[in-house]
Amino acid sequence: MPEILVQYQAEIVRSIGETFVMVGVSILAAILVGLPVGTLLFLCRKGSVLENRFIFSTLNLLVNIIRSFPFLLLVVFLIPFTRIIIGTAIGTAAATVPLAIIAIAHYSRLVEQSLLDVPKGVIEAAISMGATVRQVIFKFLYVEARSGLVLGLTTSIISFISYSTIMGVVGGGGIGDFAIRYGYQQFKTELMMYMIIIMVIFVQLIQFTGTTIARRIDKR
Amino acid sequence: MIKLHQLSKKYEKFEAIQSVSLTVNKGEIHGIIGASGAGKSTLLRLMNLLEMPDAGEVEVDGQTLTKLKSRELRQARKSIGMIFQHFNLVANKTVYENVLVSLELSNVLRKERPGRVMECLRFVGLESLMEKYPAQLSGGQKQRVAIARALANKPKVLLCDEPTSSLDPNTTAEVLGVLENVNKSLGVTIVIVSHEMDVIKSICTKVTVMANGKVFETLATTPQGIQTIDNHPQYFVDQLKKDKMDHA
Ligand SMILES: Nc1ncnc2c1ncn2[C@@H]1O[C@H](COP(=O)(O)OP(=O)(O)O)[C@@H](O)[C@H]1O
Ligand SMILES: [Mg+2]
Repeated sequence: MPEILVQYQAEIVRSIGETFVMVGVSILAAILVGLPVGTLLFLCRKGSVLENRFIFSTLNLLVNIIRSFPFLLLVVFLIPFTRIIIGTAIGTAAATVPLAIIAIAHYSRLVEQSLLDVPKGVIEAAISMGATVRQVIFKFLYVEARSGLVLGLTTSIISFISYSTIMGVVGGGGIGDFAIRYGYQQFKTELMMYMIIIMVIFVQLIQFTGTTIARRIDKR
Repeated sequence: MIKLHQLSKKYEKFEAIQSVSLTVNKGEIHGIIGASGAGKSTLLRLMNLLEMPDAGEVEVDGQTLTKLKSRELRQARKSIGMIFQHFNLVANKTVYENVLVSLELSNVLRKERPGRVMECLRFVGLESLMEKYPAQLSGGQKQRVAIARALANKPKVLLCDEPTSSLDPNTTAEVLGVLENVNKSLGVTIVIVSHEMDVIKSICTKVTVMANGKVFETLATTPQGIQTIDNHPQYFVDQLKKDKMDHA
């Protein structure tokens, strides 16, 4: 192993851990909140099963607003909110708040898109069989859209890694922050290159895994 | 079995169905034919309230669907099967799972489900393809899976919207044969919408002709039998030679 990596081993391991926490929380938020929000966006649109103009417009507007913020500004803008939830606006835990929020907005849009790809006729068949909305979602929509949902999550996770790299501004740490502080600000270009290589490997692994799973579960 | 009473349905300002009354008797194979845009599909979709009427009543098997609460309507729909021109199977479910899902929606006991699924697949002659996915099947086979799925809950009525319109003549005959069998041996009342005269003539015992959102006429008919086309190459040769002779 290159000497410089050995020298900074402890910091590197800690940074990777911080990135995992930030990206992990983003993934959880995407699945636990983004998926339902995206599903609601789909179900509440005009002509859909739960058509509801108020819910649709409200969610649609919220998602658009969050996504149109330059992320750095969103982080700063959310500081008071973060302080209420976490008790502090500084550190890795605090960094997860804006990340979770952008994750929800990001993934919910992709969920909505995947569900729109499900043929209308399949939903109609489900309703003609007497399915409840819940059954339409779990036994038809998610089954039919599953590869799109996985690919969307893959794309999202890669964006989350990218978002997490700037969380140094609120002391969130992570590999990106490490690369900037040591590699860029202290002119250790070699160290920065290694950090970039680590990120590239992560992204490749995630993309490969996502694409493979999506292909395996797609029987269309 | 089905009674439509002065049904009307508008899309924006356009009156797709204009005060239609129609009775479908128990045991019938009732055809609905008419030009494209006549309102056939809309009328069929009103029979299980896939479309809500603006006025009028829909009665199926003694129940007035238009008066039911949504929970009761879902229950009623379980005894009204429906099949579609484009099959509408779940592409990510196997043939077996596609039929199973309709039992999962009802309260059929878990341990009774596999037997019931196989019974339905056997009825349409597809038990050997139970592990396949829809993408691996021919059009006729897909429609037979859809029929098996519609039969799983032992419906009293089967609504068919252009069930053979995306099939070639051979598979059309295959699907019509299954539908006739559903009617004859299971006693299911069938309503079949089609723009193809041959299809309507082959199996229907009563036919409603529609035009411009209204019933033009309803008449009793004698099923002419299903035209089967011999796949043997000599058949095609014979047909071609026959034409030549006719002209000579
Ligand atoms: N969802 C809809 N929105 C607007 N117009 C519709 C809709 N469904 C059907 N129509 C119109 O209603 C008329 C009847 O349609 P349809 O019942 O599908 O005819 P058919 O099945 O006889 O070809 C057509 O003119 C069609 O354009
Ligand atoms: Mg039609």
